[in-house]
Amino acid sequence: MAAPMELSCWGGGWGLPSVHPESLTVMAYAKFSGAPLTVNAINNCWRAPKGEVPILISEDTVISQPAKILNFLRKQKYNADYELSAKQGADTLAYIALLEEKLLPALLHTFWVEAENYCSVTKPWFASRIPFPLSLYLPGKMSREALNRILLTRGGPPLYSLTEVEAQIYRDAKECLNLLSKRLGTSQFFFGNRPSTLDAFVFGFLAPLYKVCFPRVQLQEHLKQLPNLCRFCDDILSCYFRLAVSGHSPAGQDTVDANLQKLTQLVNKESNLIEKMDDNLRKSPQHPPRKLTTLKLAAGGEESSPLNRLSP
Amino acid sequence: MALAAEAFMTQLAAAEPWPENAALYQQLKDEQILLSDNASSLAVQAFLQMCNLPVRVVCRANAEYMSPSGKVPFIHVGNQVVSELGPIVQFVKAKGHSLSDGLDEVQKAEMKAYMELVNNMLLTAELYLQWCDDVTVEEITHLRYGSPYPWPLNRILSYQKQWEIRRKMKAIGWAGKSLEQVLEDVDQCCQALSQRLGTQPYFFNKQCKGLTFQYRRLVPKIRPTELDALVFGHLFTILTTQLTSDELSEKVKNYSNLIAFCRRIEQQYFEGHDKDSSSSATSRSAKRSLLR
Repeated sequence: MAAPMELSCWGGGWGLPSVHPESLTVMAYAKFSGAPLTVNAINNCWRAPKGEVPILISEDTVISQPAKILNFLRKQKYNADYELSAKQGADTLAYIALLEEKLLPALLHTFWVEAENYCSVTKPWFASRIPFPLSLYLPGKMSREALNRILLTRGGPPLYSLTEVEAQIYRDAKECLNLLSKRLGTSQFFFGNRPSTLDAFVFGFLAPLYKVCFPRVQLQEHLKQLPNLCRFCDDILSCYFRLAVSGHSPAGQDTVDANLQKLTQLVNKESNLIEKMDDNLRKSPQHPPRKLTTLKLAAGGEESSPLNRLSP
Repeated sequence: MALAAEAFMTQLAAAEPWPENAALYQQLKDEQILLSDNASSLAVQAFLQMCNLPVRVVCRANAEYMSPSGKVPFIHVGNQVVSELGPIVQFVKAKGHSLSDGLDEVQKAEMKAYMELVNNMLLTAELYLQWCDDVTVEEITHLRYGSPYPWPLNRILSYQKQWEIRRKMKAIGWAGKSLEQVLEDVDQCCQALSQRLGTQPYFFNKQCKGLTFQYRRLVPKIRPTELDALVFGHLFTILTTQLTSDELSEKVKNYSNLIAFCRRIEQQYFEGHDKDSSSSATSRSAKRSLLR
């Protein structure tokens, strides 16, 4: 049996297990391949080398970057690509390159550079998950890095101003979404009926774009006009992340919102109360049927166990 | 210039036919041009040859500074100047020449994905090798890049360029990679290209549409696309360029179908087409001997 694996990544919101594309990619791949990951939503970047998230920790190996983590999982025999032909494997690589070159700049821009989105959504969200002194510094650093990447890879003559670069990267991103939509067509996943690496990457890039509520949503609006890509995201969310919540693996812990946890606790308390009342009632007659009480207690214990599983 | 205005100019140009005196500019072939620029230039030349559009190759020491995007190659057609393969493909398409018209939507998506794979992996690896690998930088890049300029300027310009490329590598997360990792990436990319190509002559085979175009130009039934031009440009340049070590070309040589692919395009589109660019014919024949 392989050593336990622990994944540290940014937590979730807006119905997503993680709002961070790279984290989401790894989580989706782990689901597809059946790798038993323990997911930790991080609130502390000290542990991550160079602030790189997500990281996978297995015994004494620490791996960052999604591509490397996926390779590691494949070596541990958690492979979602068994059924792919060599040509499909090549296609996977090509489409991942397409996503990185064409969609990633606009995604970074929507999250980290677009001032309104950054100030009202991204910055408060990340700052609230980072402990105090760092919360003042890290979001700004991440924003500067994103802008830097966009300008260095896409800027330069003849695009001198940021608005011109923005126009170009959004045009590229929309074209990329159209290409993905045409490639997916009406099939459930990119290569037939089983999800593979490419599906994990596409899901990781698209789902945050699709679900996170930003004030400026030009790319989201475009995505919502492509029903097959939206359905693709919804399907993966409902089949691979909701089911996991009620299963034994706590990987999708973040999708369980606080309300559900409170409800569980309430139900537990209530059942305890009822049991106590039952006990009192039974104790009141002169000859308490002891056997029955133990039976009742055992039944009560079993009843609450599936509920307990819900709360991580 | 605003993008809208640029698009408008492209529209204006669309009506004009392809002139006889179209020119492609790049750096000096023998003493200056670097691996990545040569690959990009060869890709554009191959693309134009495949479209059957004649172009004269002009070598200028300051080609990089003449280009509107600061990148070579660029073409000068009529009163238009367009640089880099992507925009050139668009420009040529506006003039009514296209290699990818016969593809269906999914094939077009696939073609674009593979083109990004080549840019994302091969081009970045070439840039890494020539600007971040210390041995190559010292022995080849600095000498060649600054060769047309006098002493202090040659050093200043090449350090400036090196700094720019290293910042870019840092931003995309390649700065921390070792040469071995980069070569592994190249291998992975070549493997993907090789598997995609299989035993076909070109990357996309089904080209039954576009009959009117075929009828007009009498081109063969199976035609290459811009992806073939791009892959040819990079692989041929990698195979035929002498570097400090041949680790890079060895990676490509492992895939026999890719080598056959390069040879096929070279024979079909470059042999016997060199009349108007005789200066490059000699170097090309030298390259050919290297390939064999």
